[in-house]
Amino acid sequence: MTSSIRGQLLAWLLGALTIAGLLIGYSAYHRVQEDIDELLDYQLKQLAFSLSHQSVDSAPVPPGLLLPEPDFITQVWDKDGVRMFYSRPNLAIPLRPRPGFSNVEWNHQAWRVYTQLDGFRIIQVAHPLSLREEMAASLTRRAVLPLVALLPLLGLGIWIIVGHALRPLSSISSALRARTPSALEPLPQRDLPEELVPLVGSLNDLLQRLNRALEARRQFVADAAHELRSPLTAVQLQLQLVKRAGSGEERAAALERLERGVQRSTRLVQQLLTLARQDPQEPEVDRASVDLDRLAHELIADFEPMAQHHRLTLALESQGPAHIRGDRESLRVMLSNLVDNAIRYTPRGGVIVRVQQKGNDVKLEVEDTGAGIPVDERERVFDRFYRVPGHKAEEEGSGLGLAIVKRVAERHGGHVTLDSGSGGSGLRVTVQLPCGNS
Amino acid sequence: MRMLLVEDDAMIGEAVRAGLRQDGFTVDWARDAEAGDAAVKAEAYALLLLDLGLPRKSGLDWLRELRRRGNRIPVLILTARDAVADRVSGLDSGADDYLVKPFDLDELSARVRALLRRDAGRAEPLLRHGELTLDPATHEANYRGHKINLSAREFALLTALLERPGAILSRAQLEQRLYGWGEEVESNAVEVHIHHLRRKLGADFIRNVRGLGYSVSKAP
Repeated sequence: MTSSIRGQLLAWLLGALTIAGLLIGYSAYHRVQEDIDELLDYQLKQLAFSLSHQSVDSAPVPPGLLLPEPDFITQVWDKDGVRMFYSRPNLAIPLRPRPGFSNVEWNHQAWRVYTQLDGFRIIQVAHPLSLREEMAASLTRRAVLPLVALLPLLGLGIWIIVGHALRPLSSISSALRARTPSALEPLPQRDLPEELVPLVGSLNDLLQRLNRALEARRQFVADAAHELRSPLTAVQLQLQLVKRAGSGEERAAALERLERGVQRSTRLVQQLLTLARQDPQEPEVDRASVDLDRLAHELIADFEPMAQHHRLTLALESQGPAHIRGDRESLRVMLSNLVDNAIRYTPRGGVIVRVQQKGNDVKLEVEDTGAGIPVDERERVFDRFYRVPGHKAEEEGSGLGLAIVKRVAERHGGHVTLDSGSGGSGLRVTVQLPCGNS
Repeated sequence: MRMLLVEDDAMIGEAVRAGLRQDGFTVDWARDAEAGDAAVKAEAYALLLLDLGLPRKSGLDWLRELRRRGNRIPVLILTARDAVADRVSGLDSGADDYLVKPFDLDELSARVRALLRRDAGRAEPLLRHGELTLDPATHEANYRGHKINLSAREFALLTALLERPGAILSRAQLEQRLYGWGEEVESNAVEVHIHHLRRKLGADFIRNVRGLGYSVSKAP
């Protein structure tokens, strides 16, 4: 079966028309036959009647009959059964004593016979039944033939009309072909046939979502490229300073600066990769049971040297195991970003990490005694590459830390809130994560 | 030559300042437009190196504001925005030159020198005064056919005096040209540099106008 709508419509419509034509022809044939029977029977009767009023010798076939003379056979007998007249001496139908109409098989032919008794004579008029069939067939043919002749024309008409009706489809497909990843504007919805509106509507919906996703990607790549420029500029300048250095001492200082520049670039690239891996469109990794309390213990140990270097106290308030189902690596990155940020932006005092299981949630808190984040900045700090103005860290951050934290929390079905530390100063980041033991 | 760098990135700021210092420039460094504005109001800088992506107020907005106030300081934009439209809007907002990050320190110095030259109304890259020739690009000095060795500060001091022969520059003015923020200035530093220069160029090359300052003669 062809899958073309046009071809299918053509085949079905022509098929239906042919069947309809055959049915019409068949019933017409029967109606015509009935009419002809009635008419010719009447004629036979008339003929017999007219013969009964004439003398036998000169019995001519009355004029004005539908059938030519040779088709009729007329015979007259007297009441003793002696044939008095034949219209066709070589065709002598045997006598039918029963009056009225009857069908007779004679001389290899079926005959319609009308017998009239009028006292002293028997008049018989007959003609072959095949005559009637021919007439009916010919009349039916004449009625049905024009329809048969019209079929090809109808087919052509259907082909053209269906093609015309389907034109919006081909214009939609050519409009779709013109779409490129850089030009995903919606398809025109004006003048569309009713049947295509939902299709184009959902296509436009898809295009819009695709466009948004691509735009987000494009923006991310543009932002990332832009953000990579700063550390690369620093590295290039630092490298030149190394080359220019005159004394060994200058050289050592320049190399140390270059090393920090390279570390910063590396860190930014790592953070970018982490963020890309946490993209909502990335496939899920296998989840396992993770004890956030143990994870926090391990991380605190890792960050202890950094905290000491910054002369900060780093503490963990733990209340025993706190298991959630999740991706251990992402959770580690999330917690590590929180602690790293806290240490970076806290000039003095300390950082406290709290892990607490509460019903079906695990609450993770990282609190510092730094400058905090002003209330009206608390939304924006989750944007990538956004840095709180005037927030001075010893080294430039990647601007991605909190964006990563938020992504990881959301991928685990949790959420992040920011508020001031317990004393009204500093920053407290709270991550609420569901245990996910369903 | 003292100039102001406005750059929020610590590493870049530090490296640019270090590099320009090696090329004999004195660089003050502000981290945002506000601090930059305060500095421009307090001191007379020969040049402004401006990053556009500053926190709070963008470099471009501040530049327009400076120009509206009639400040004519030569401005060299240092930015990561490399689109043609960005360059055009930077220059049209009143900048004199535009350098895209990452850039080369040598190119930065050369552009700074070119801007300073243009600002002083000179086309000739070398500074000449009688039999003395100074090359700001290489810091080479030639006097009466012989190469003389000058320290970076000596070179800067001599350049300051030669820019406007005949004009008297006070000790404070010279100190300001030679030393940036946070640099220790010993009380007789300028006198020491003048002393060394006189030893290399002859005692009467630099005149001492008592109580006012120093100058080189207008017509050599």
